[in-house]
Amino acid sequence: MKLPPLKIGSFTAPVPLIQGGMSIRVSTAALAVPVARSGGIGTIGGSGLPLEELQADIRKAKSETDGIIAVNIMFAMQNFYNLVMGSIEAGVDMIITGAGFSRDIFKIGKETNTPIVSIVSSPAFARLAEKLGAAAIIVEAKEAGGHLGTDQALRDLFPEIRKVVKKVPLIAAGGITNGFEMAEMMDQYGADGVQIATRFVLTEECSVDDTFKQAMLKARPEDVTLIRSPVGLPGRAIKTPFVERLAAAEELKTKECRWKCLKKCDHVYCISDRLMKACEGDLEEGLFFSGENVWKMKEIMTVQEVFDQFVSQAESVYKEPR
Amino acid sequence: MAVEEKLIDIIADQLSVDKAKVVPGASFIDDLGADSLDLVELIMAMEEAFDIEIADEVAEKIVTVQDAIDHINKIS
Repeated sequence: MKLPPLKIGSFTAPVPLIQGGMSIRVSTAALAVPVARSGGIGTIGGSGLPLEELQADIRKAKSETDGIIAVNIMFAMQNFYNLVMGSIEAGVDMIITGAGFSRDIFKIGKETNTPIVSIVSSPAFARLAEKLGAAAIIVEAKEAGGHLGTDQALRDLFPEIRKVVKKVPLIAAGGITNGFEMAEMMDQYGADGVQIATRFVLTEECSVDDTFKQAMLKARPEDVTLIRSPVGLPGRAIKTPFVERLAAAEELKTKECRWKCLKKCDHVYCISDRLMKACEGDLEEGLFFSGENVWKMKEIMTVQEVFDQFVSQAESVYKEPR
Repeated sequence: MAVEEKLIDIIADQLSVDKAKVVPGASFIDDLGADSLDLVELIMAMEEAFDIEIADEVAEKIVTVQDAIDHINKIS
């Protein structure tokens, strides 16, 4: 049967699918706009961008679609508040945040009437986010790409959080690659929607260099691994030459800190430099974040095709939740 | 001092540690075993007990028992 829409604050996404924010410059307006046009929530990765660039990208996205545009900003960023306030000023519809826990963000959300969506990986933080006023909560499990807050699998973690979140939409994220899994999370696990990220890198619209997409297409299960990140959380990435050197404890420190991007950084390597290199297609030196199930995806599609596939697969099996 | 005593009670209670361990030099994470959730809840308990508001930016700098005492003394 037909999937229900996803309501967050005063916004309604016809398709209950959020495209996960990916930084740095992996999910920009180029990707978020077609996602929003297809009926999902398109998310610009805001972390690591200069404020002016982020604002320009949000304005571009908002001028090109009437759909829903969100921005994802990690709390671990030094300029978290500037990015949040600047995004709201630029007209973003909602803020998605994780990698640390801000309480002030909920006040800002209330004062500016901006829905705040919290990414959490434990029942305790989920409960706290709901209490403080989150408009929706995303449960991100260990299968996700990029920074991780848990080593629990989605099907273990989600039910624990489903038990404690009562009032706001609860969204499942981490390792979902097709519409059948989307339907499973929604009707068997009681999710109100899903967040998908890696699948959207493998689209024609995603603006990263083709090398990034090819690295994902070639990845086998054993090519996706956990790395340490200067953010202080483990991160899931493709085992590229840089990751292998990092694992071999090679000295990778940069001479100077060019970005001053994180509140706390261990300076083992510069994550901003490495993520930007990935985006530009530097297979040797870049850091390519990826979900655990990237190996299941074997083709580059358009965003609309991804939506059509997810929705048709999901609706072929979706039943009213229990 | 009453404020300090009250604060130490709150810390011991929130982090489920013996009051004797709540000495000024103790770090919440390294010495008192707090995790990130404990820290948020501790700050919220302090806000409630002293009827104050502590912004993220300030909360991030409250790392030891002494930091917490200093903050409460400064604003109350």
